[in-house]
Amino acid sequence: MKPAPFDYAAPESVEETLALLAEYGADAKLLAGGQSLMPLLNMRLARPAVIIDLNRVAALDYVKATDGEVRIGALVRQRAAERSPVVAQHLPLVSDALQWVGHPQIRNRGTIGGSLAHADPSAELPAVAAILGASFVVAGSDGERTLASEDFFQGYLSTAIGATEVLTEVRFPAMAADQGWAFVEVARRHGDFALVGVAAVVHAADGPRPAGSEAHAGRARGPLRLRDVRLAFTGVGPTPVRIAEAEAALEGRALDDRVLTDVARLVSDRLEPESDIQASAAYRKHVAGVLARRALTAAALRVRGRS
Amino acid sequence: MNRNPQVGRPLRRKEDPRLLRGQGQYVHDLRLPGMLHLAFVRSPHAHARVRRVDAAQARRAAGVEAVFAGSDLPTLPIEPQFAGEGYHSAGWPALAHEWVRFVGEPVAVVVARDRYVAEDAADLVEVDYDPLPVVASVEAALRAGASLVHDQVPGNVFFRRDHTQGDVAQAFSRAHAVVRAVFRHQRLAGAPMEGRGTTAAWDPRGGAHGRLTVWASTQTPHSLQTGLARFLSLPESAVRVVVPDTGGGFGPKMHLYPEDVVTAAVARALGRPAQWVEDRRENLGTMTQAREQVIDAALAVAANGRILALRADVTCDSGAYSVFPLTAVLEPMGTVQIMPGPYRVPGYAYTTRAVVTNKCPVGAYRGVGMTVGVFVMERLMDKAAAAIGLDPAEMRRRNFIGAGEFPYAAASGLVYDSGRFGETLATALDAFDYPGARREQVRRRAEGRLIGIGVCAFVEYTGMGSKTFARRGMLEARGYDSAAITVDRTGGVRVSVSCPSQGQGHETVFAQLAAGELGLDPAAVLVVQPDTDAVPMGSGTFASRAIVAGGGALMHAAAALKTKAVAVAAHLLEASVDDVVVADGRLFIRGTPERGLTWGEVARAAHTPGPVGLPVGMDPGLDAASTYDPPPAVFGNGAHVAMVEVDRDTGVVSVLRYVIAEDCGPMLNPMIVEGQTHGGLAQGLGEALHEEVIYDEAGQLLTATFMDYLLPTAKEMPPVRIVHLETPSPHTARGFKGMGESATIGSPACVANAVSDALGRAADTLPMTPGRILQWMHDERPAAEVKA
Amino acid sequence: MSKATAPVSERTAAFTVNGKQVQVTVPVRKTLADALREDLGLTGTHLGCEHGVCGACTILMDGQAVRSCLLLAVQADGHDLKTVEGMADGDRLHPIQEAFWEAHGLQCGFCTPGFLMTISEFLAENPKPTEDEIREAIAGNLCRCTGYVNIIKAVQIAAEKLSASHPDT
Repeated sequence: MKPAPFDYAAPESVEETLALLAEYGADAKLLAGGQSLMPLLNMRLARPAVIIDLNRVAALDYVKATDGEVRIGALVRQRAAERSPVVAQHLPLVSDALQWVGHPQIRNRGTIGGSLAHADPSAELPAVAAILGASFVVAGSDGERTLASEDFFQGYLSTAIGATEVLTEVRFPAMAADQGWAFVEVARRHGDFALVGVAAVVHAADGPRPAGSEAHAGRARGPLRLRDVRLAFTGVGPTPVRIAEAEAALEGRALDDRVLTDVARLVSDRLEPESDIQASAAYRKHVAGVLARRALTAAALRVRGRS
Repeated sequence: MNRNPQVGRPLRRKEDPRLLRGQGQYVHDLRLPGMLHLAFVRSPHAHARVRRVDAAQARRAAGVEAVFAGSDLPTLPIEPQFAGEGYHSAGWPALAHEWVRFVGEPVAVVVARDRYVAEDAADLVEVDYDPLPVVASVEAALRAGASLVHDQVPGNVFFRRDHTQGDVAQAFSRAHAVVRAVFRHQRLAGAPMEGRGTTAAWDPRGGAHGRLTVWASTQTPHSLQTGLARFLSLPESAVRVVVPDTGGGFGPKMHLYPEDVVTAAVARALGRPAQWVEDRRENLGTMTQAREQVIDAALAVAANGRILALRADVTCDSGAYSVFPLTAVLEPMGTVQIMPGPYRVPGYAYTTRAVVTNKCPVGAYRGVGMTVGVFVMERLMDKAAAAIGLDPAEMRRRNFIGAGEFPYAAASGLVYDSGRFGETLATALDAFDYPGARREQVRRRAEGRLIGIGVCAFVEYTGMGSKTFARRGMLEARGYDSAAITVDRTGGVRVSVSCPSQGQGHETVFAQLAAGELGLDPAAVLVVQPDTDAVPMGSGTFASRAIVAGGGALMHAAAALKTKAVAVAAHLLEASVDDVVVADGRLFIRGTPERGLTWGEVARAAHTPGPVGLPVGMDPGLDAASTYDPPPAVFGNGAHVAMVEVDRDTGVVSVLRYVIAEDCGPMLNPMIVEGQTHGGLAQGLGEALHEEVIYDEAGQLLTATFMDYLLPTAKEMPPVRIVHLETPSPHTARGFKGMGESATIGSPACVANAVSDALGRAADTLPMTPGRILQWMHDERPAAEVKA
Repeated sequence: MSKATAPVSERTAAFTVNGKQVQVTVPVRKTLADALREDLGLTGTHLGCEHGVCGACTILMDGQAVRSCLLLAVQADGHDLKTVEGMADGDRLHPIQEAFWEAHGLQCGFCTPGFLMTISEFLAENPKPTEDEIREAIAGNLCRCTGYVNIIKAVQIAAEKLSASHPDT
């Protein structure tokens, strides 16, 4: 399985990259980590005339916390993001979800930008980006534009990145210190793409609980009520899926068994996944509901008090 | 027979240092001067007429030496011989030139300076196909009026056999309980980490006809030699097969493939060495696949749990061609012959058939039909136990053939030689703490967890000799194997056995065996992979035969060598042969060890005619070669116990722990036996839970990469404990039995029983994917069709 | 556009392999795995799938385990590579190799170089791993022969050997 012939360029700046895209864009593919593109090349499922290798564009490799945002350059390796103290502190959901992405060797080369630009419907990062309200900075010869997740992910393996454009940065709003989060997935084997995956983020409706509040036994505070609950699903549609009705149904509610059961059923009913050889649509619908329950429960447990 | 001091030693392997250094020599690592590389043009259709192949553009491409299609190469279709009732034969052309019968069948071959260029040129070959109706399932193939895959195979049935022993109908009507189910076993891919590969070189000056040398990643060098000679119309002596390091075999590498014939034919046609190494897509789509059977079976039992009769109707999906050497009869007969298992089964009736479909041909893969037969029987035993109200282990105990009943003529026609089945099971249950595990199960179930415990017990045939293959009608399998030992004049001992290694450690275990017979240190014995020029004819490594057949030949050769060496030593030492001891690397007079000789001294003498060398009348040289035909079969046995948990919401199965009790007779190298057991278990778990080759109705393969065909990883292996019993065979030297397939044979059955126990539902279809398990849980049907 | 970045069909890459400076001039589409095997004669790195799943082609690039079938040879330019051939020190096997030998951690040996590379990185980062961490770390390398049991044991033995020789680590 050898790639079909192509020409190769390795620009060292975004400007050079854009110049190459301007000339060859329609027949070119951008090579970042290569963990998705190289198999396609080796199997001759992709036959671009030109490969533009981004790995020498050092300017795209950075993680910056600034103004309540974490800005991640497109070429940041997944392994580096997984270990980044900045990401761990401000985007713990991202750190956690990255452990589900393939295997260490894949994350050594795979990039944050590459995974998002590839937009595999069963990948973890697109769902995480969607749920955190990430925005995507796309550069072209006309300048830069910034896209919201809903506009960035357009369909099966397709994003809004134009033929002569390149994703340069992903911006995540920093997660709040009192935000609970979880990522759960079911895969056939560890490290495989998700059959179904769910990311959940929640806030406590009554504000954060002070540490040690459980010690005041007898004080009738009741179960934790949630607000601003978000769920994003992967593996159940061409792009990450959020179900507004489910999120609305959880607003201000406490997570008792009935609420969780209702949400699971709502999720199952609303989703319209495809069948493939790994799992049927019916299976995905059912398990999405199950995982929504698990993710919400785990996220609620993580809601942290201010110390 | 003297004790062999090397038997039982867990010697670490001699081949490891070079393999660990990355200095293994696999077929792809071979570089010959002027060597060319092959890429095949393969059919995208499952069934079609080939109208025209236009290779003109491909031939003109830079770096391309030649393109062959149709009957450009003078080869005969591969067609194994079979002698027996109910079989219809058809040939498998090296390059399809009139019809293609499965997706991936080779139609043309590009020969170029490297694989990249060859693949580019393959893209330029234009083939006109007229698609024909496809039969991609047994149902489609057997439907009235179905399109025939081969004109000469009526009704798309390669083979059918019926058998009855005992009054089965009566047994079923009298039975206290009858359990019956339809079992479905998926299609598997062997998927060794190294795919197939063949390098061929032609020397036109080698004898009257020229000489072909082939290096192949093969389990069966002599079979390959025979096949290549026949289908290239060469005398066998004009073909030499050399086996390099081989990266896993597991059965599929015992077959002769069109690609092997083509590679050799290309080397001859062009007068330059030619190399073909398959990629993973070719491997998953065109290396023989395995299993795919549907079995409608029923067990009739008495009120006390004793089996009265077994009935089975077996349909095997054999794919498009009958494989060389063992034919499409392998799977259907394997399943039914082992199904009665380690139990007394007074009445047994079966119908078994091999159906032709437009898919990749099915061949041998670790466990073959035995795995399927055990799956069926062990599931039936569990169903019967439930119907009668017996614990599954007790159900087995009540039906085991007793330790004093050997040789035992089973209802299948097989004669079991030895075993202590009750003890094997008891050992497994004890190691598992079965009563404790059942109590644990009760506790965890009370917490709402779906915990299941599964048990299985089985026999397996190993080390089969020529009588068995002859009785089965498999004329191409010789059944004997050979070994050659030479001692050079510097005392170096070199061994070759006709059973090559694909990872089983023959470089070590055969060195151990020979060294032990000859009083040497294993480090002093060099074992090389077989070269058909250097070791006499044999069958090869498959069906768990290497230690019995190859080892048996080696022991014979060692004995002959020892006799000669002792005679020479006695002559030199002026002693009687009865006074010569062979030990510690020397040959010396009993009681006076300082009066002795090294093997080098003996060898030099043996090469020196005259009074200070050879005894009068003895031929010069110190070497021996022997051919050994094992008994019809020697039987190993095993029992497995497993605990699983099923996630009730996602259907995901976790195997919590696993115990294997295995009895393969005396173990030559226990460390290697355990390694084979671990590996066999991993494959069995893949078979039970994860692996499935899937074709659609048009015969298109949907599982063509490792992203679709799911092999177990380190995360999927449970903690496993292995306990050993050693019941020697009364028929083999040192009582050896084979064991390479053992863990694979028992594990799908054991895991299926455990899952069924966890769910309270039948688990009669493999693989037990999460989706299937959720469906079973929501299904209201009971665990078995039961009349009780 | 500068000549330096115009697309080319062939290119020279200069890099170090196992401590030695090398240079290869290859078609740009040639994978690093193929270049190591064919242009540099380092056939210890094996091709098991060429689509990034089996890990048989794993090497170290700048100390990180990567799938060489998913890298172009020209991408190695300026980097520091290590293959299985660079592990042993003359006659002496590396402790990880020794551990595999002791534990019967290989059978056919085809997947083994990839495991050795993965484990090299893993133990450098995690010198005292738990069994779960070991399974996780090697889950991206497939073996069809061993069932992984003895590979896990080999990693445990290797960890002990390495910490014995580096007591401060």
